[in-house]
Amino acid sequence: MSVVPSWVGQSIARGILTTRYPREPATDAEVPATGRPPVPVGGPATLAAAVRSCPVGAISEAAIDQGICIRCARCRTHGLEFAGSVESATRSRGDLVEPSARRDGTPPPLASLKRSLHVFLIDVGSCNACNLEVLALANPFYDSQRLGIFFTNSPRHADVLLVVGVPTDAMVEPLRRAYEALPEPKAVVAVGACPIGGGVFAGGPGLKGSLAELVPVDVFVPGCPPTPVNVLDGLLTLTGRDRRPGGT
Amino acid sequence: MDAAGIVLSAAVAGLFAGAPMSLLHRRAGYATATVASGLLFAVAIVALVAGPVQGLGWSGPLGDPESLRLDGLSAFFALAASTVWIATSFYSLAYDDRPSPLLAICYSLTLGSIALLVSSSSLVLFLVGWETMTLASYGMILQAHGRSGRVFSASFVFLAFGEASTLLVFVAVAGLRVMTGTFAEVPAAAGSLATVVFVAGLIGFGLKMGVAPFHMSEWLPIAHSSAPSNASAVLSSTLTLAGAYGLFRLLSLLPSPPLWWGAVMLGIGAVSVLLGALFATVSEHTKGLPAYSTIENNGLILVALGIALIARTDGLPGLYVFALFAAFYQALAHAVAKTALFLSAGYLEHAAGTFDLNSLGGRTRGSDRTAYLGTLAATLSLAATPPLAGFVSEWMVLEALFQSYRFHPEWVQFEGLLSGAAVALAAGLILVAMVKFMGFSLLWRPRATAADPRAPGLGAPIAAAGAAIVGVGVAAPWILKFLTPTVAAFAGAPVVAPVGGLLSVPDGWSIVSGSPFGIISPPVIPIALAAGALVAVGYYALGRRRGARRVAPWMAGSVPGLERETYTSFGYSTGIRIMMGSLLQTREVRAQVGSVTRAELATPVSYNVDLEVLDVFKVFYDGLIRFGEGVASVLKTGVMPGRLGRYLAYILIVTLVVVIYVASAA
Amino acid sequence: MTPSAEETAGATVLPTRDAERALAYVAADGAFALYNDYRAKASVLERDPRIPPTEEPALTWRGGAAAGAHRPLGPTPVVEGYGVFTFPYGPVSMGVPEAGKFAVRTYGERVLSLEPLGGFKSRGIGTSVVGQPVEDAALRIERMAGNFSASHVAAFLAAADSALGREVPEVELWTRGLAQELQRVYNHLHVIARVAEAASQNVGLAQTHALAEEILRVQGAVFGHRWLFGALLPNGPARRLDAPDRSRTSRELDRLSDEFEALWELFLESRTFVDRIQATGSIDRAEAIRWGAVGPTLRACGVDWDDRLRVPAHPYTDLFVALPRETGGDALARVAVRAAEIRASFLLLEQILDRWPRSATKTVAPAAPVGPGRGIGRVEAPSGDLVYDVRVAEDRVAALGFRSPSQANWPLFAHGMQGAVFTDFHFAFESFGLVFAETDG
Repeated sequence: MSVVPSWVGQSIARGILTTRYPREPATDAEVPATGRPPVPVGGPATLAAAVRSCPVGAISEAAIDQGICIRCARCRTHGLEFAGSVESATRSRGDLVEPSARRDGTPPPLASLKRSLHVFLIDVGSCNACNLEVLALANPFYDSQRLGIFFTNSPRHADVLLVVGVPTDAMVEPLRRAYEALPEPKAVVAVGACPIGGGVFAGGPGLKGSLAELVPVDVFVPGCPPTPVNVLDGLLTLTGRDRRPGGT
Repeated sequence: MDAAGIVLSAAVAGLFAGAPMSLLHRRAGYATATVASGLLFAVAIVALVAGPVQGLGWSGPLGDPESLRLDGLSAFFALAASTVWIATSFYSLAYDDRPSPLLAICYSLTLGSIALLVSSSSLVLFLVGWETMTLASYGMILQAHGRSGRVFSASFVFLAFGEASTLLVFVAVAGLRVMTGTFAEVPAAAGSLATVVFVAGLIGFGLKMGVAPFHMSEWLPIAHSSAPSNASAVLSSTLTLAGAYGLFRLLSLLPSPPLWWGAVMLGIGAVSVLLGALFATVSEHTKGLPAYSTIENNGLILVALGIALIARTDGLPGLYVFALFAAFYQALAHAVAKTALFLSAGYLEHAAGTFDLNSLGGRTRGSDRTAYLGTLAATLSLAATPPLAGFVSEWMVLEALFQSYRFHPEWVQFEGLLSGAAVALAAGLILVAMVKFMGFSLLWRPRATAADPRAPGLGAPIAAAGAAIVGVGVAAPWILKFLTPTVAAFAGAPVVAPVGGLLSVPDGWSIVSGSPFGIISPPVIPIALAAGALVAVGYYALGRRRGARRVAPWMAGSVPGLERETYTSFGYSTGIRIMMGSLLQTREVRAQVGSVTRAELATPVSYNVDLEVLDVFKVFYDGLIRFGEGVASVLKTGVMPGRLGRYLAYILIVTLVVVIYVASAA
Repeated sequence: MTPSAEETAGATVLPTRDAERALAYVAADGAFALYNDYRAKASVLERDPRIPPTEEPALTWRGGAAAGAHRPLGPTPVVEGYGVFTFPYGPVSMGVPEAGKFAVRTYGERVLSLEPLGGFKSRGIGTSVVGQPVEDAALRIERMAGNFSASHVAAFLAAADSALGREVPEVELWTRGLAQELQRVYNHLHVIARVAEAASQNVGLAQTHALAEEILRVQGAVFGHRWLFGALLPNGPARRLDAPDRSRTSRELDRLSDEFEALWELFLESRTFVDRIQATGSIDRAEAIRWGAVGPTLRACGVDWDDRLRVPAHPYTDLFVALPRETGGDALARVAVRAAEIRASFLLLEQILDRWPRSATKTVAPAAPVGPGRGIGRVEAPSGDLVYDVRVAEDRVAALGFRSPSQANWPLFAHGMQGAVFTDFHFAFESFGLVFAETDG
């Protein structure tokens, strides 16, 4: 209990909580192991052993599809480790497949959305974890407003549609309406394995394969769910600003 | 009798002549009424410009001279009424498609009798016109579509109140006769009868104006709204105007009033304004809503008149004249706006077959621009939006109210304060009501599947009335000057119109209250609006070039278009119902429909819910009716049971009494 | 805790032992009904004598047969009247950041009836796990509702263990307990934060939101995943919790517990917070029982039912479980119960970490199966009683039924909103802690 028994006292007593990302690398407390994509640590030979362990078929002998990886960690006993970059969001679906031919940041960030971003969250069939991770951006630890990222209550006021969940048949029409309601210029960010490729639910009855089948997707944020830092990275990838040289 | 006098006589006769013409063909009747209204309009303007017009005259049955005559006061009311009639008669040509000519006959008789009472120079003639008007308008109300028991009961209540009004007006006229010794309209000297005449006249004319506490939801709103639409327009715009005329005429004949006359009128007016606005807001009927708005507007006339009388007693001649101008302007503005609104209700009835705003929900926009624009002007004007007629009149009334701080003693000041608050609150409420009317009839997304909204010939008169609304608003300073003879006739002394100039606005372009208290320039407002519109249109044009997209409204992802999923007009005003619950006696009536099997968890319960409001005065009148019925039943069973013996006993008693009286007198 | 007079005279509340008391979890043929007998303080899974049993009932959950969007989530009165219309809210709104819809019947201002509509995010988990090994099925089960993952997996695994007759290592059960209590603290904090947000108590929102984030970080540190996905699986990657880890975690939780205490005191002193949730979304005890309320919603109506006490299972049989109860039945009571449960859970977490099993090999026998290859798993999830009914054949899931607390509580929310005004929606909704994800499945 602080000396001043009030909200002010409580707030001062707690001090500054906000992360220093993206000016400094994200810490382990902010991003636990599963916030990073799995990468082979023992060479291609071990990748072959990991293929059968993967419940979603993200691993083939040639490559790992980070887009549909659900971070279940079963491959960790077969030579893969959650050791990839926290800044794992990409502008193209192809770039999520590792080892990638090129990760030179193509297509380039959207110049039209360089300044503050107004973001509308739409759930098209999630498990609620991604929703909560996105909403966590508003908490004092991430405080997305310091980066000019604001949540809006209507797509009419938003620049960016943050889509979480695997698209269900019932949500196709609301999604289309929300996308149409966005003013130009607009962008869509697919948050999590579900909108990218169906995640653990891929192929289920009444589900679409991926968000990209329905609306053009500008940024892919892998993870199940992606941590708030991952989501922040996704939004910064979209605008191409506030990036620290070198990555995390 | 000069040329103008002949025209006046012809106009009044022509209006009556519409009745026999209707027997030939109802359209002939309406055409006659249109022409005669035009004549009346012309002669009223002549009377205002060139001085009183003397028409046909004769010697009355009681020996007093009787004649048709338009002085400043009656010319104003003839002008306002004939403006309305030109539109309604023309509209009736297309509107009235009944096989029977009864509606047309009653219509012409109503118009003729109103013209007669307005232009009469004798109180007897006035009374004749008054009673003819009451009976003829009762005939019109009876012609409502789909005659139901409700229509009959409504029209009967209308007749009952109308006759009560005639009775009181008769008392007032008789009182004046005693005071002046003649039935001619000459000012009376002070006398103890003045108070009786005033009270009888105020209640008698107040009944016709429909002000509180005589508004009675059963009477004016329902009687007017169950009538055919052309009749409703005539009743609401000019029948109530006749009431106002009677009151003005009476006051002009009575001697200098004591303070409480004005105070009573101000109080009645303020209560009417508030109740009228409140009930208009919660009404869902395309004709009930304008009818309640009539109560509000007539209340505003009384407020202005009350202020004027108080100012006169208090020795504030400037405010006296300004308030009189406000009262007349309010009458004029209301007449034109309400005409358009009732005609629009008739148009909606033709187009959609309903008077229910809930089931209309906005439908006919785009198909008939004339009706749309006319209704828009009417609703905006009644909501006091600049630069329209209603704005100018309401501004003037409020300006007059603001100056009540100059009154003495303090309790009158306090009354002015309370009345000002009531009028301001009503202004807010009536805005909700008018937005509701416009939005749910013509502006917003339709609820039901659209019927054919075209009703040829009905749109033009509405648009014409709309144009009149704009004209009366924008040209207000000049019209005020034009009304100088009217106010002078009422005040009995020369007056100066409250117009002037300020800053770079030319002299005579502005209305000035006080010396000066407030100032406003109606002609400048449209210029400023046009400039603003130009900017908006330019911006829009530029935006179009950049490629604007049209997308469906965002409804939280819901797919719009389901009828049940649109806001109802009832829902639009429920906030008011709940907020003003103590005044409206709002209560929810919930009835369970069907039974519930408790064994089945998933069985939903079915309810029917109604949110009802109550007019407190209706409770009072209902009580009065019950009391009357009780007395009647006592008389029927106890005093007049139909037994021969009892009646013989009565005769015996009366005979004895008479014999004793005569004997004692002798 | 002595039973109240009302409780002992429960006969007035419950006229007959009929389906009213049954929780809304039934087999497809209606043959089985699971209910809590609140007077006997026992839960019963029993065959409904009115319905003849079939050979092999395909298990499902209420509403499952009518899956699809716009599926009503519980009985709602039908309201008609002059001017009454339907105000649709959802399925996409920031007020309820999940795909779900509400059909509000109103004549303006007042909510005459509110019908929650689900099915917008049905991912078909109930059917897609059929034929999968238990471990793979669990990957989907934990994504039933991300913020209740530990409870769902724990209930599912308890049912599967029972069906398979698998001896469960004691450490595994304690891990489930640890995960569940952590997640309970998170979810209760989340509810309080959402209510604070609805009440515009923004400082409180930020503080509570921050505390919830710290719980997520503790979960991330202990289990490697902020939402505990994969953490409880039998052969999953859960880390061995060593003594230093445990004491570090214990210290961290101590700090968070203290911070919460201070925070809650400030909340109770905040008029903007308390005024807006008092008498909002009220339901009374009889309604709560009739409609089958569970969890804090039920306990806020004065019924002391908690699966951790009523359906004894490891590790709770070894621990002291406090049972907070309120009698208000309104949003304030529900929030107060949650706050008290946060305190109780911190106490449980302390006990769990303190008395962590020494032996890594000791096993515990599972609950007896309810039929051949069929087990019932029941845990007290943050929002209430969660039931899984699992059938296995050849180590694979043969049929799955579940009844989540959100499914049970939707009718209560709908009921509590009747007569309220629109602006009460968020206070009431958030206080119930309802999640569409675990409703649709």
